[in-house]
Amino acid sequence: MKEKILMPKMGESVMEGTLIKWHKKVGDKVAKDEIIFEISTDKVDTEVPSPVDGVLSEIFLNENETAEVGAVVATIEVDGTGTEEVEEASKEEAPEEKAEPSSDDDSDLVDVLMPKMGESVMEGTIIKWNKAVSEHIEKDEILFEISTDKVDTEVPAPVAGVVSEILFDENETVPVNTVVARISVSGKVHKKKVVEEEQKSAETEETVEIKSEVKDSVKPPTSSNRFYSPLVMNIANRENVPFEELEKIPGTGAKGRVTKKDILNYIKNRKAAPAVQQQSQTEFSFAGGTEVIPMDNIRKRIKEHMVRSRDTSVHVSEMIEVDMTKIYNFIAENKKRFLERENIKLTYMAFISSAVIKALKKYPLMNASIDGDNIVMKKFVNLGIAVAVEPNGLIVPNIKNADSMNIRGLAKAIQELSYKARNKKLSPDDVVGGTFSLTNYGVFGALFGTPIINQPELGILGIGAVVKRPVVIETPEGDVIGIKPMMMLSLSHDHRLVDGMLGGLFIKEVKDSLENFDVTSV
Amino acid sequence: MEKFDLAVLGGGPGGYVAAIRASQLGYKTVVIDKSELGGICLNWGCIPTKALLKSAEYYDIVNKRAGEFGLSVEGVSFDFKKIIKRSRDVSKRVVKGVEYLMRKNNVKRVKGYGNFIDKNTLSITDADGNETEKISFDKVIIATGGRTKILPNIPVDREKIITSREAMSLEELPDELIIVGAGAIGVEFAYFYSVLGTKVTIIEMLDSLVPVEDREVSETLKKAFLKRGIKIHLSTLVKEAVVEGNRVKVTIEKNGEEEVLTADKVLSAIGVVGNIENFGLEKIGVKTERNSIVVDKETYATNVEGVYAVGDVIGPPWLAHVASHEAIHCVERMHGLDVQPIDYNSIPGCTYTIPQVASIGLTEEKAIEAGYELKIGRFPFSASGKATAIGEREGFVKLIYDAKYGELLGAHIVGAEATELIAELGVAKHLEGTFESLLKTVHAHPTLSESIMEAAGEAYGEAIHI
Repeated sequence: MKEKILMPKMGESVMEGTLIKWHKKVGDKVAKDEIIFEISTDKVDTEVPSPVDGVLSEIFLNENETAEVGAVVATIEVDGTGTEEVEEASKEEAPEEKAEPSSDDDSDLVDVLMPKMGESVMEGTIIKWNKAVSEHIEKDEILFEISTDKVDTEVPAPVAGVVSEILFDENETVPVNTVVARISVSGKVHKKKVVEEEQKSAETEETVEIKSEVKDSVKPPTSSNRFYSPLVMNIANRENVPFEELEKIPGTGAKGRVTKKDILNYIKNRKAAPAVQQQSQTEFSFAGGTEVIPMDNIRKRIKEHMVRSRDTSVHVSEMIEVDMTKIYNFIAENKKRFLERENIKLTYMAFISSAVIKALKKYPLMNASIDGDNIVMKKFVNLGIAVAVEPNGLIVPNIKNADSMNIRGLAKAIQELSYKARNKKLSPDDVVGGTFSLTNYGVFGALFGTPIINQPELGILGIGAVVKRPVVIETPEGDVIGIKPMMMLSLSHDHRLVDGMLGGLFIKEVKDSLENFDVTSV
Repeated sequence: MEKFDLAVLGGGPGGYVAAIRASQLGYKTVVIDKSELGGICLNWGCIPTKALLKSAEYYDIVNKRAGEFGLSVEGVSFDFKKIIKRSRDVSKRVVKGVEYLMRKNNVKRVKGYGNFIDKNTLSITDADGNETEKISFDKVIIATGGRTKILPNIPVDREKIITSREAMSLEELPDELIIVGAGAIGVEFAYFYSVLGTKVTIIEMLDSLVPVEDREVSETLKKAFLKRGIKIHLSTLVKEAVVEGNRVKVTIEKNGEEEVLTADKVLSAIGVVGNIENFGLEKIGVKTERNSIVVDKETYATNVEGVYAVGDVIGPPWLAHVASHEAIHCVERMHGLDVQPIDYNSIPGCTYTIPQVASIGLTEEKAIEAGYELKIGRFPFSASGKATAIGEREGFVKLIYDAKYGELLGAHIVGAEATELIAELGVAKHLEGTFESLLKTVHAHPTLSESIMEAAGEAYGEAIHI
């Protein structure tokens, strides 16, 4: 019998470990509790003992390789037989498996779990399977793509092998740490057909099981600080209110608790809404040629965020005109040099970011957030950059501790974030904790905008296109008209906390910094 | 004239509780009551009757069931006067406790009759109607309580035709007693007097004993009463009660047929009316309706600004615990605290007969009427080890769930300690528990409360001991 040795979980947020040293090699005898290998994680280094007596029969991870928590690192043959015998045994088993598909030896199957993408992310939606059952997959090759509350991401295979089972379809939402697929290390294909037949033959049972799964998907209240009464949870399950939706229902009970009444009202209104939609649909269909497209996860979230922001903040906007001559000239002169020497794309964004950070430091209230009746001041700037994601998404990752960076650092960070955003490489940490954001609609030529604040921030600066315009230049010899690269900045801020005066001072500070930019500082 | 932040008119479980809470929140508070603090509850209701009933229960057990427990007792008897005296002593003691609480919480206590001069002033008079002082205040809570409802065809003379108040302080045990009304008060006195040897007849207009309770519960109580020899006339009207010499003649009508019953005394226990008269309520323009003050049941505010009312005077349910909770809620809302309104669907009701009756929420009939599809769990005490050990196998726990969402709609217990057991269901209901909340809560063994867990399981086919 084989015992799998997994990469141990060393703490709440530790998701992977690096194997730093093997104490045993294949064929070595190991005693229970004897150290087999050492690992290093973000937090600690530790030694991993053997859970059983036996012989180390397989090693899947070499020294200095990193594996996700839960991945199989080695196997130990408990009966004490050596490697060769084990291999023989598995060879023998393999044909038997084919001959008799009902055999149930799962020992070489590696579970692929729905990954935990962040502290508060409790479930993910599988948006695409990149491999089908019986296809070969390399370690770290992308197996499937998921979408969570925060980001979309790709999940690589933890081991090389053959995809043996796929347990959830695309568009299904699955709690984290649920097994979503199995990979056969030895290359066996699991008999999916048999499973299907079993399912058919026991259809009634199946519906029961599915129900209980739905139940579980709503269940994990650990992710939330809110308490839900058993009755509210029951109603949520019964009415298919997913956990993330439940989280948004306002509670009128003691300390904001969601009561039976609250959720029933919510469901009533939720039910009422589609009815109206249906009506309008029929109206449209009379006009002819409409098509109903369900929103994808990202769109749904953007929709919710926008509405929430509008309902939360009192938006006011101010615009100012900035003479970008100095920066325009600097970029024109140095763009090539920076790209060739340091692989840095010099853009206006880096300069504007720098000016904004300076202004935030001078007027820190703009960098704060509101918590109930309290103001939360932040001694750091995590600068958000809105990035359009094809085909129709938008995400605002932020540069952590942007106030510690110079122009080069900012330029690099912006470049990196937009690359990650466009290629689904963002981690949940990249999109939380922002303190102020920038949005550059100028790329499309727009001059002014009234941006929507990225909650819970208090301000967002919209950047218009830099365009050459005739302007009045005051000289000691009198006013003349000249051509200058001009840019409009639009600041939206939350009037709950930031009044017009601060807004005005802030945007003026940004303007002054940009116009008087010290090019020698780059 | 002394000025207060808050005056509380009436010192019962609504009034004195309001006064304490207000004082805790920093209000300079005065409580006015013409007699002892504690109201009907402590003086002439809940507490003294529980004292009487305990005497009866002990006597009943020793007299009838001693042998069952292996005890030999001979010559058991009772002294009716002493039973009454103990009840009065118990009452005095708890009333003293309330007086102490007033002192402890710096609530000024004024003894006398309050009369509104305007909505910020009360004139206090003594029993003869002489004004002793005037009190002014910003706000006032009216907690004047209620009294036994009296019908013209049953003219209470407090000698032969009596109310509960007289029934708990009689000089001598009556030979025959007719009780009109089979609510909690009626059946409690029926039990008490029948145990002591009085021939008791109950007359109820509706078709069951304790008509607000679940039908199965009422039936169980009826069987127990019939076994005791209590005569029960259900769906029966009292046409009239007339005192004739030493006897009272009661004419009843059942199924259209008249019958005449006679007894030493008739106890009228047909309901409660609010005390809304004789303190100048009409002078300040407070709106009343059907012998009750009209209030908003979230703030307990009347139509007159600064005037609030709680307890029996605002109508049913006429229960001390409801009055107290209304009082606290009223004061806290007045103070601006964010408190949850009282859920009138989750008020426990208790009747201290043997077997005891306790319930919360909807009865089966009411739940069906409300359109629910039900899942019902029952567990008889005869299947409980503890109940068998203590010789209390009579009765059951019945839990009513909404089949759709698993909400606990109602809970009904009849049997030993039912009135104590019901508390758990109150918590479960308040916290919106489901059957699993009760089933998966570890209940100590051996206890009667296990029966609740089992009943919850029984509703879903998961009971172990039945």
